[in-house]
Amino acid sequence: MSIAMNRRAFVNGAVAVAGAAALSPLLSACGSGSSRSKGGTNSKSGLRAALPDYVPGQAVKPDIPSVHGAAGAFTDPGFLTYPAKQIPTVSGTPGKGGSYTAVTPLWGTIPPAGNSFYQAVNKALGVNLTIKPANGVSYDTIVPTMTASKKLPDWIQLPTWWNAAFNMGELAGTQLADLTPYLAGGKIKKYPNLAAIPTFAWQVGAWEDKLYGIPCGASGMSLAGHVFYRADILESKGITADQVKSADDYMSLGKELTSAQAGVWAFGDVWTYLSLSWGLPPGWTVKSGKLVHAYELPEFLEALDWHYKLAKSGYVHPDALAGNVNAGATRFYAGKELIQGGGTGAWNLSDHQSGTAANKNYRRGAFNVIAADGRSDPQIFLGAATGVVSYLNAKLSPNQIEELLAVANYLAAPYGSTEYTMITYGVEGVHHTMVNGMPSYTDEGKKYAQPTTYTFLASAPQVISNPGAEQVTKDYTSWFARTAPHVYKPVFYGMNITVPQRYATAAAAKSVVDTVIEVTHGLKKVSDFQAAVSSWKSSGGDQLKNWYQTEVLDKYGTGQ
Amino acid sequence: MSQTLTHTLNRPALRPDRNKGRPAWDEQPGAAGQTLKGGVLLLVLAVVLVPLWIVVLTSFSTSGAINRAGGLVLVPDGLTLDAYRAVLGDGPVTRALLVSLVITAAGTLLSMVVSVLCAYGLSRSRSFGHRTILMLLIVTMFVSGGLIPTYLVVTGLGGYGQYWALVLPGAVSVFNILVLRAFYSGTAADLIDAARMDGCSQWRILWSVVLPTSRAVTAVVALFYAVGYWNSFFNVMLYMPTESAKWPLQYVLLQYVSYGQSIPGTTNSGFGSLHQQSAPLSLQMAVVVLTLVPILLVYPFMQKHFKTGVLTGAIKG
Amino acid sequence: MAGTFTTKTKKVGAGSSGGTEPAADAEPDADGRARSRKRPGRAEEGGLTWRLRLRRDRSLILMTLPAVALLLVFNYAPLFGLITAFEYYDPLVGVLHSDWAGLDQFRALFNDPLFWGALRNTLWLSFVQLVLFFPIPIALALVLNSVTSERLRNFIQSVVYLPHFFSWVLAITIFQQMLGGAGVLNHFLAQHNLGTWDVMTDPHTFALLVTSQAVWKEAGWGIIVFLAALAAIDQNLYEAAAVDGAGRWRRMWHITLPGMRGVIVLMLVLRLGNALTVGFEQFLIQRDAVGHDTADVLDTFSFYYGITTNNYSYGAAAGLFKSVISLLLIWGANRVAHAFGEDGLYRK
Repeated sequence: MSIAMNRRAFVNGAVAVAGAAALSPLLSACGSGSSRSKGGTNSKSGLRAALPDYVPGQAVKPDIPSVHGAAGAFTDPGFLTYPAKQIPTVSGTPGKGGSYTAVTPLWGTIPPAGNSFYQAVNKALGVNLTIKPANGVSYDTIVPTMTASKKLPDWIQLPTWWNAAFNMGELAGTQLADLTPYLAGGKIKKYPNLAAIPTFAWQVGAWEDKLYGIPCGASGMSLAGHVFYRADILESKGITADQVKSADDYMSLGKELTSAQAGVWAFGDVWTYLSLSWGLPPGWTVKSGKLVHAYELPEFLEALDWHYKLAKSGYVHPDALAGNVNAGATRFYAGKELIQGGGTGAWNLSDHQSGTAANKNYRRGAFNVIAADGRSDPQIFLGAATGVVSYLNAKLSPNQIEELLAVANYLAAPYGSTEYTMITYGVEGVHHTMVNGMPSYTDEGKKYAQPTTYTFLASAPQVISNPGAEQVTKDYTSWFARTAPHVYKPVFYGMNITVPQRYATAAAAKSVVDTVIEVTHGLKKVSDFQAAVSSWKSSGGDQLKNWYQTEVLDKYGTGQ
Repeated sequence: MSQTLTHTLNRPALRPDRNKGRPAWDEQPGAAGQTLKGGVLLLVLAVVLVPLWIVVLTSFSTSGAINRAGGLVLVPDGLTLDAYRAVLGDGPVTRALLVSLVITAAGTLLSMVVSVLCAYGLSRSRSFGHRTILMLLIVTMFVSGGLIPTYLVVTGLGGYGQYWALVLPGAVSVFNILVLRAFYSGTAADLIDAARMDGCSQWRILWSVVLPTSRAVTAVVALFYAVGYWNSFFNVMLYMPTESAKWPLQYVLLQYVSYGQSIPGTTNSGFGSLHQQSAPLSLQMAVVVLTLVPILLVYPFMQKHFKTGVLTGAIKG
Repeated sequence: MAGTFTTKTKKVGAGSSGGTEPAADAEPDADGRARSRKRPGRAEEGGLTWRLRLRRDRSLILMTLPAVALLLVFNYAPLFGLITAFEYYDPLVGVLHSDWAGLDQFRALFNDPLFWGALRNTLWLSFVQLVLFFPIPIALALVLNSVTSERLRNFIQSVVYLPHFFSWVLAITIFQQMLGGAGVLNHFLAQHNLGTWDVMTDPHTFALLVTSQAVWKEAGWGIIVFLAALAAIDQNLYEAAAVDGAGRWRRMWHITLPGMRGVIVLMLVLRLGNALTVGFEQFLIQRDAVGHDTADVLDTFSFYYGITTNNYSYGAAAGLFKSVISLLLIWGANRVAHAFGEDGLYRK
């Protein structure tokens, strides 16, 4: 089986996989017949030949330009308003009248089939593309049944956080189309909007040195997330982000802000994001030529110990300690939880609207990236450029693939272009009207034009825009600009390693992941974590490390 | 029910009103017993009604009220019909409701016919092979081939995207058959024997003796099946995940529950912000309330059969 | 006199028989010989060849066929999937071509301390539920049945089953908001300086917590079958008993309970057979609150260490183990029922 080392998921503890069971008999007896057990990865030289060139788009000028950071990263550009003049980037219709079906996950209400929005987009695309959205919540069950019965549609969205569940390493070689012959190197220039997607984003959909996936909404600087705080409330108490420089500062904030009697706690769940202040890597790291896992680092113990103390301090909201993460956002809006970790996606217009609906002064802020000791240089690792990748069916003919790539080129048109407006907002006067220079959905648009439909098949690199809440865009872009110098590419970045089936259990390290959560909830002690790690190592962790060392690190390097 | 009439006539005139419904032969309960019983019932009602109130209130609350409360709303703050408007205002719900009604009606009918027949067929003690068949049934309660093999069988039979795939795979509930059978084997053995002597066929006995004397359990099992069909969504997810025009109500409502939910794994991407503004919690609660409504409507009809369950006397007479 | 009721009701089980006049009981016996050709009584059973019995009962067997056919197609045919427990199953490769593992999955399973932990939790929770949950719907049904005001009874009946339709997520959210560390109870305690008591994150009281959640959500729904059993009891028996001077408790003991006995025993046997099934979502949601040591049960174990790892075969092995034990349990429970002279799932 393939566990692609999705770093973000790994750090989140979201890859819920097998425990460090005593599996020695299993490990030795594992068969070798099926392709699953061989494992695989991208290599540096092989990838270089497969990856497309990068030709940044110049069509639309942002209000807040991108900032270049360390490790080749650059921040997403910001737009305070919608571009007044919509520029076309594609001439004519890209399609040749072919008929295709596409399946995408949708977290929302599914618009009726064949509605006016789909019809309008189909007309613009020049193809008969039947969009079949499926419920995002059960998508990880739906796709494996499709692949088991070899019933994949022509075009499908396969989010990377489910790479393991979908067995991408094997699917890529069998049921998904190899796009290398169409896009490698300079060939991509035939599709200028696709060429404007940064090269490292294409790595996300590359498997064993071949290009399969089309990255959607790629970011030049993708981070696991931040530690957010209620800027309005903290600032009213005279606390600013710059004052928080060390783990100790966080602890004293806890004391200052918590009042259980008033129903206010300083902290929600922060482990995933705050623990990065101890310089933790997302998984493996190299120390003097040898692979070491984050679990083996003394810094991990320190971070865990601090979070255990935090859980026991009474500064953490009891519901967060009870694992009730879903209501975390609501607790934040209600001002019952003032500091909490979260993905960058939380910082947007819809958050602003939800927050101000509860309290008109609501403002979200993020603390600076710090080093726990308050002295070292803060470091934060880069995540994959996107988690949203679409694939074409291997059964398609070369002509069909070229037609769909031309369609993808249309869909990937930059923010504010004619094409972007069409696939996101539909037809002016029908699905949207311009209000204060910004497209605003009509009733029909709200019903039919789900913005995550076509953008899940192909879309331009991300931009930051929160029309009507300029402050959010300013806060967000300035935080990113401040963080940019501190980023680094972690070991095995973008290599899409498929771990052999026999190491799947060890790779998931479920019992260690569980114990980490339990320590940060104050249920277990740090010594329990150490015991879990040593049992993980002896029951497969060490063998896994050995495999990574000899089969990946020694052969292909770190991918950095 | 001629006894009731007799009791009515015999009822002492001075009986307090609250004892309406108490048969004449029944003695007055003691004060302590009454208090205890009242207390228990009051507690039961409270633990059910208070959460119900919270759910209903939240479904009518504005997103501001929910975000101020930090979750479910206990005290009315801002009220709105938005959640219901969002769910009921769209077209798909009407069609999905129709689909659900047809599936529930047809499925329940099919399941009842199959189950009642099977339960009666197995209920006559010492009949040939009944124990073997029973064991065949019981094994399926505990042994399953798994999700993907079941999926492959159903799709292998051409069930993908077909309505029958939502009904047939789960049409037989062995639990329900066992419940029916337990009632049938207890039903009027002497009546059945008498009917046999009169030369009635087993089909006839089932129809005119067993079914009329076991209305309560028939109603209960029909309710179990109907609720099962009404609430089922798993088969929809498996067999028609992308055929949105064919979806029944529960699956459509499920979409509303996930409406505006943050997309897992994209928490650090711009896709988080592509969502339309929504108040997921009030929508979720509105969906819960809407799920309860049809069941509240149907229940009294079923409850009726609890009282008229006993007709033995009438038949015998 | 009470003894008469017992024998009579026992014979009719959960059903009902008129039988106010003594002659009714004697009737079939009087005609025993006439019946023996068509449908023999118990005594004649041994004398019949299977051919004759098949002929005699063919319509009964015919009646079971539709259900049997559906089960064969949709439950038995997919059983080929059980092979995956002996493979390194890969859905993309298929059941036929996946690598053979023999008993390796089981060996790994039985060496896995987490598996034994999950099994221990399952059995303990099952035991607690059996003691604290199982009697409640029966008691509730009896209490409800004794409410004389029809309107009140109907109202309560049509309210108590509603929590069944709440999802576990909602049920647990409600518990959290009432009893959690920041909930209504603890908020009250904190404001009156009475200390706090976070029952939602206490591993030691977890069994009680989940049982009370299950009672809250399912007990009202569970009474429906018992209400049906109560409705099937002949009211004449009560009147006759009352006339003979049997009091409330005596009537409950000698008429009501025997009348419900068939159903109660059936439910008990099924509950024992399902001892390894205590719930799934409920434990999934509360896992992080109390820790995996406390909250993992067999079904969540299969989920976490089988499905979510794509280690399908490992999950299938755990599932097969559970199936075998469940079948043994239900067989055993049925034997015990027979030993007590009850029918259980089928007559001895």
